[in-house]
Amino acid sequence: MADLLIQVHEVDGVAVLRPEGFINAHTVRQFELALEALVHEGKYAILLDCRLLNYISSAGLGAIMGLIETVRENGGDILLCNLQKNVFEIFDTLGFTQLYRVFATEGEALKCLNGTI
Amino acid sequence: MRNPAEPESFRLVIPSQTRYLNLVTGMAKRASIVAGMDDATSAKVSIAVDEAVTNVIVHAYNSEADHQVDIELRFMPQSLEVHICHNGRAIRENEVVLPDPREYVKHPRKGGLGLLLMSRFMDEIRYIETGEGSECCMIKRVV
Repeated sequence: MADLLIQVHEVDGVAVLRPEGFINAHTVRQFELALEALVHEGKYAILLDCRLLNYISSAGLGAIMGLIETVRENGGDILLCNLQKNVFEIFDTLGFTQLYRVFATEGEALKCLNGTI
Repeated sequence: MRNPAEPESFRLVIPSQTRYLNLVTGMAKRASIVAGMDDATSAKVSIAVDEAVTNVIVHAYNSEADHQVDIELRFMPQSLEVHICHNGRAIRENEVVLPDPREYVKHPRKGGLGLLLMSRFMDEIRYIETGEGSECCMIKRVV
């Protein structure tokens, strides 16, 4: 199996990006390109569904950080859901849970995005 | 034969390429479990090792693929030691500046987070220069 697979689908105008595997310095460009493609298509309501994400290193967090400003300037946001315990801990340790809204389920995150964007 | 006075250990030497990261982190995670750590702690050790080896490949070797990174795991009586050795540009203890997460949240920027993750997830980190090269030594105690 590849280190990282990324599925993208759309639900009610929200782009749901589901990474599967590991986001590290080796796979981060693939992750970055998937995020950049959404932004270039003008899709600024983005949900990262992390249910299949085994871990994310600082390289992956940097990729999200690199796009958040553009996304928010365009009235959108990047939300996160279904974080596994160790992935949540990485986000929380670095204070990212204060920068990004994190939801337990995809349904809750979609409700939030549809209500505010 | 192993000298009984020395700790049990094993080594992995990889080319300085990020495609081997998963191999190294998988090994670090399994080693942490063998050392007696739980799943959550072993996941932290594996992330710290990912960050440290990435630093060597990207910063010490400037992403040049034809060098080597030597990773040794030592099973100490009450801890696991991870020694990451290389011949690239040395990282000196006094050069390590950890970003303040509170400031980071106020002024987000790319980069600088790997060292912070390492320091939060491991109990001790030392940067050592030897006659043969440089070493990052990380220690996680088994509680």
